[in-house]
Parts: sequence; C-alpha cells; structure tokens
Amino acid sequence: MIDTSFVGPFLPEIVLLAATLLVFLLDVLGVRRLEIAGAIGVVGVGVAFFLVAADLGFSPIAGFATIPSGQINVGGPTGLYAFTSLGLVFQLIFLTAAFLVGLASLSRPTGERGASIFYGLLTLATLGMLLVAIAADLIFLLLAIELTSISTYLLVAYTRKDGRSLEAAMKFYIVGALSTTLSFFGASLLFGAYGTTNLRAIAGMGSAGVPTLVLLGYGFLIAGLAFKVTLVPFHAWAVDVYDGAPTDVSAFLAGGTKKIGLFAFFLVFLGPILAVKASGASTLPFGTGPFNVGPVLQIALAAAAVLTMTVGNVLALLQKEMKRMLAYSSISQAGYMLIGVTVGTAPAIAGATLQIFAHVLMKGGAFLVVAAVAGVGVGPLITDWRGLGTRRPLLGVAFGLMLLSLAGVPLTIGFVSKFVLFSSAVEAQGWFVWLAVAGLLNSALSVFYYARVLKVMFFDVADPMPTTVPLAAAASSARLAFGGIGVGRAAAIALVAVVIVAVGIYPQLLLGPIQSAAQHFVNVGP
Amino acid sequence: MSLEEIAFLFLAAVALVTAVAALLVRELVHTILWIAIFFVDLSAIYFLLNAPFLGVIQLGVYAGAVTVLLLFGVMVTRKRIFAREAATGIGPIPLALALVTFIFVVSAVAELGQTERPIRSYDPSYLSVNLFQTNGPWLLLLGLIMLASVSGAIYLVREGRE
Amino acid sequence: MTTLILSGFLALSAGLLAISIFGILTRRNFILLLIAIEIGMNAAILNFVYFAAFSGATTGLDGQAIAVVLIGFAATEIAVGLAIVLALNRLKGSINVAQAIELKL
Repeated sequence: MIDTSFVGPFLPEIVLLAATLLVFLLDVLGVRRLEIAGAIGVVGVGVAFFLVAADLGFSPIAGFATIPSGQINVGGPTGLYAFTSLGLVFQLIFLTAAFLVGLASLSRPTGERGASIFYGLLTLATLGMLLVAIAADLIFLLLAIELTSISTYLLVAYTRKDGRSLEAAMKFYIVGALSTTLSFFGASLLFGAYGTTNLRAIAGMGSAGVPTLVLLGYGFLIAGLAFKVTLVPFHAWAVDVYDGAPTDVSAFLAGGTKKIGLFAFFLVFLGPILAVKASGASTLPFGTGPFNVGPVLQIALAAAAVLTMTVGNVLALLQKEMKRMLAYSSISQAGYMLIGVTVGTAPAIAGATLQIFAHVLMKGGAFLVVAAVAGVGVGPLITDWRGLGTRRPLLGVAFGLMLLSLAGVPLTIGFVSKFVLFSSAVEAQGWFVWLAVAGLLNSALSVFYYARVLKVMFFDVADPMPTTVPLAAAASSARLAFGGIGVGRAAAIALVAVVIVAVGIYPQLLLGPIQSAAQHFVNVGP
Repeated sequence: MSLEEIAFLFLAAVALVTAVAALLVRELVHTILWIAIFFVDLSAIYFLLNAPFLGVIQLGVYAGAVTVLLLFGVMVTRKRIFAREAATGIGPIPLALALVTFIFVVSAVAELGQTERPIRSYDPSYLSVNLFQTNGPWLLLLGLIMLASVSGAIYLVREGRE
Repeated sequence: MTTLILSGFLALSAGLLAISIFGILTRRNFILLLIAIEIGMNAAILNFVYFAAFSGATTGLDGQAIAVVLIGFAATEIAVGLAIVLALNRLKGSINVAQAIELKL
C-alpha cells in the first residue's frame, strides 16, 4: 500500500505540474492557441496562489488549507523540505510574479508562435520557485534553483527566430552554468566539512567544522548565488540578457526568478548568522574562542550590498535605453534587499521580504509597460517616450507610479518597504547603521534617473512625427483592445498600480503577516 | 609509496593534462577525444575510491552519452568536421584568475594535513535505498529538470511550421 | 583496507575547477564552453565522492547519491546547451560567442 498522505501539502505544486503537462499534451495533440495555453497557465498559477494563501491562514479561505497547521514552522533537523510561514509568503510572492507575467502575455500579438512552450515553461519555472521556498536541504535547494534556471534559459530563447534573444539565451546559459558549477562546488565543500547537506544541521554547527573548508564552501556559494542575484561584480550578464530577451520574459526574470536567489541567500546564510546571534558569541570573526563563520558572512554580504547598490545606481544614471536603465536599477535594488540578510534580525527580514514583494510589482510591472509601449510602436530609447504621458495618460500614470515607488516616494509600497528595511538596520545598532546610510544615499541618487524619465514622459513635447519604426509586431497588435495593449496586459498593469498605492496607503495589509513570518523564521531557523 | 597512491598520482596527472588539452587543441574533434579520455580517467578514480557503481554510471553517461552528444554537436554545426578553429588568445586576466582560484583553494585545503585516511566502501543496495527512499526528492527534482529541458530543447530544434 | 590522503584529491578538484574557470573565460566556441562547464561539474562531483569515501559521518553515503543525481543533471544541462547552439547555428551559421562573459562593469 503506497502512503499518499504526503500528497496534500504539495497540492499547489501538483496543480502547477498538472497545468504544465496539460499544456504540453495539448501541444502534442495540435492545440496551440494562445488563449487555451494561456488560460490553463494563468488558472493553474491562480489556483496555486489560492491554495498557498489558504495555507497561510488568510481568514475567508483558511478552510481550504492543505498543510496541517502542526507541520508549519516546526524546528529540528529533519527532511529535505520544510514548510515555514516565511517560505509560504515567498511562494505567494513568486506566484504573484508568474500570475502578472502570465496574464500580460495573454495579449501578445496574435501572429506570434510558441504559446504552449511559453506557458508550459512558465509554470515549470514557477514550480521550481515554489520548491525553492520550501527547501531545507542544500542539494534540494540548488536543484530547485536549477529547475527554474533551465526553464528560464529556454524561455529566453523561445522565439527561436530572433537572433538577439537566442544570443541572450546563450549568454544566460553560460553564466548560469558557471554559477551552477560554483554553487555545487561550494556545496560539496560544506558537505565535506559538516558531513550533511541539511541546512538546519549546518546552521546549528556554525561554529564547528574545518574552518578552511567552511569558509571556502560559503565563498563559492556566495559567488555562485551572486550570479543569480546579479550582485556586483557578477552582474554584467544581467543587462544584456534583460535587454535581449522578449520583454515579457525580462519581466519574469527581473521580477520573478531573480528573487529565488535572494531567498536562497536567506536559507543558506541566515542560518549561521542567526546561530551566532542565538548563542551570544562574540561578533569578532576571528576573535578568541571557537571559530564563527556568521560574522565573516555578514561582512562579506555587507560589502556586496553596498557595492551592488552603488554601482547599479551609477550605471543606471548613464543609460540611454529604457530596458537597460531598468536592468541596472534592478541590480541596485538587489543591493537593498541584501541589507536584510546582512542585518539578520526579524524586522530586517520582514523589510527585505517586503522590498522583494515591492520589487516584483514595480519592476515586473515596469517591464510589462515597456512591452506594451513597444507593442504600439515606441522605440527603445528613453527619449522615444517623449510625451507619452499626455498621449496615453493611463499608461503614463501607471508607469509613473511604478517609477515613484522604485524611487521610494511616500504613499507607495516602495517607500514602506525601504522605511522598514532601513529603520531595521538603524535599530540593529553598530556598523549596520552605515548600511542604512548607504541605502539612503543611493535612494537619493536613484531619484535622478527616475525623475528624468518622468520629465521626458510628461513635460517634454512630443514630436509631430514620431521617429520610431512601425514594427511588424505593432501592426499585428493593432487589433487588440485598449488601443493595442490588450485586455490581459491592461489588467496586469492596472492590478500592479492598484496594489502599489493600496499597500502604500495601508501598509498593515501586508506588513502584519510578513512580520510574524519573519519572527517565526528567526525563532525556528531555515 | 603504496600502489594505490601511485595509481592516484597517475590518474590525477592524466585528468589534469587531458582537461587542459581538451580546451587548448584547435581541432574540435580532437577536443572530443581528449574529453572522452578525461571522463574515462575520472571513472577510474571512482573505482579507486571504492565506488564502482558511480564508476559505471560515469562510463555510461559521461564517456558514453555526453561524448556522443558533443560529437553530434560538432558534426551538425560545421561543414568540415576536421576544420581547425581560429586560434583564440589566452589572455592574462582569466589565466591569473584561474591561478588565484587554484592557489587559494589548494593553500586552504593544505591545512587538512597529510594524514592518510581509510576509504569507506558502501554496498550499492544501500545507495539505491538512499536514492529512492531517504533522498527521493532529489531524483524527483532531477526528473522535473529533465521534463523542462527535454520539452524546451525539442521545441527549439523542431523544424518546419507549427 | 586502503588508505589515501584527502588533500591530494582536493588539490585535483581545485585544479580542475581552475581549468574550467579559465576555459569559460577564454574560449569562444560554444562546444568548448560546454566542455569547460563539464570539467567544472566533474570537479564538484569528484568532491562529493571523496567526501563520501573519507567521511566518518553516518550520512556519508549521501555524497554518492548526490554524485549520481549530479551526473544526470550535468547531462541534462548539456542537452539544453546543445539545443540553444543548434537553434543559433541554424539562424546565424556560427556558434562563436562574442565575449560571453565580460570582465568589466
């Protein structure tokens, strides 16, 4: 008799897998219409979102929960996976990104092909992201990351006939494979030092082990994962890939799959950092007494955070193309999120989580707007957007909201997340205060390039004759609703704009659940 | 020096030499030959480490399947199979980076000392229990990865209209 | 019972990793890049096998299990890479990567 009781908790993942298989099956049978594949993908992601939200115990739907409440937030070094409330929160974040991209891609030009492979790989990548969120074992974590990575290499290439996206896919593949190699090499050294790959067990032994093996292992893991999170100096690929990929896929990469690397940072590095805090050991890395890896990690991550946000912002200032500007801005935002991992207190984790959620909305939404605008025949340069705010006021206002939120203007979600994050660094005292200072200075710097785009969109006068090339895609999308934008994409953009403002005005909507999840994470560990 | 140590030193030297040769020779088909020797050599190291099951898998998957796959890749992507590559420079920065990595890792692991350790051998049946029960999710994940890669790869290389 | 020195093995995998990084940074032909990546993956797999063989822990066998999974994974990765190469080759007639990884900001 086969035991099937373990199936229940995995219902969201099973729903996604079923959606994938259904899309591929219909493809084999010759049903390749965008509407059908898209509907299956979006509904699958939506159902999974509903189930995970129920597991988290949101009041009206808590009755649908599939994970017994006793199985969430359980400590102890057991198993390859574990359900923590922070992991479930991250599952919701990942599903949000996939839902937005899936919804928006329903309005791709009707002449385009490859709908079934797009949605099949999108749901598979999302499945990988959900598995990352429940990982409790280093190998399980890295393999789940690979599931997402391999799906996204192919997603970048799915247009097949477009040389630029194929070259972007090739570059993405090489960099991704190098990062995989480094990560597994690091994992092998940690396995050698500790004799296990369980993350909780490793975190518990933070002050034991052979120091050289441990340091080298964590070093290679930082390098490998830094490629996924686009930390400086491992970021150069991201701009070219986001630029060359189909824009909807760029939205998924910047808004979605990059975040699994950050959650991997939470799982892998917060363990030793928290373990050191719990035992009250000295915060000197090579102080007297037993060897502690936690403080070394904190210093390395702090350096990476400051470097990443500064370099990302400075280079974003210099860009002339919209997609490249957004890509560099995405790199700098990864630096802010890393502050949360470095500080490692419950408020800091909550702030980083909120920042990640905010970034999914802001950056994912911004790339979706770029795709919409490209669909109506506007060129890639920032100056091509001249007067767009007056010609298409709704689209302009939505994009303006996203940029204001990225800059951290009050009454948007971006302000709330940065406020929580930076104030947690100040609360933590010590040298963490300087992280908050660096973050604030960088936020001020970033206002310049966001404001420049706003000025171009709303205050510069449009040319009487737009200089842009009418694309073939633009011609075929003219039949779509909302002036060539399409219902799905318009809905996704509107949803993003509404949530950005709603959370900005009433932050307790999200802050409460995230803070309690972060507190659980600090108490129990990864 | 025991027989095992001599065997290890020999196999390690062959592994390093073939790996370098595979990357530096200018005919791609010769590269494939060198890398095939490299894979076989690693499988010999697995046998030396009392892991015969892994050695066999290495022979089957790497020396067999991957080598043939790479050979097909070479044959499909070029008109003359034995054409020579244009010489590519070596470049000081990558070489320095590689050397730094090597020296860094070696100097660190050198602290582990020169003590000899016994080699454990495991019964392959325990390995299958480990793979299919204790750590079953790893294999499940591998299956999902294969689903993604196979479906995407087939789509990418599929010819003709849809 | 045979005995061997662990640090010798680690030096071998460190050398292989260095060769792999060197190859990824300098080679232009995509097939050579794939081979460089494989050398690096093999270094990681070798590490798992050593640590399984020299481990005193009860979970030592995990190392061999991981090695089996990683061998399968590496082969899958190669297949994806070759698919991208073939698609690109059909489109452009060349599989050389212009500066896959740039060492600049």
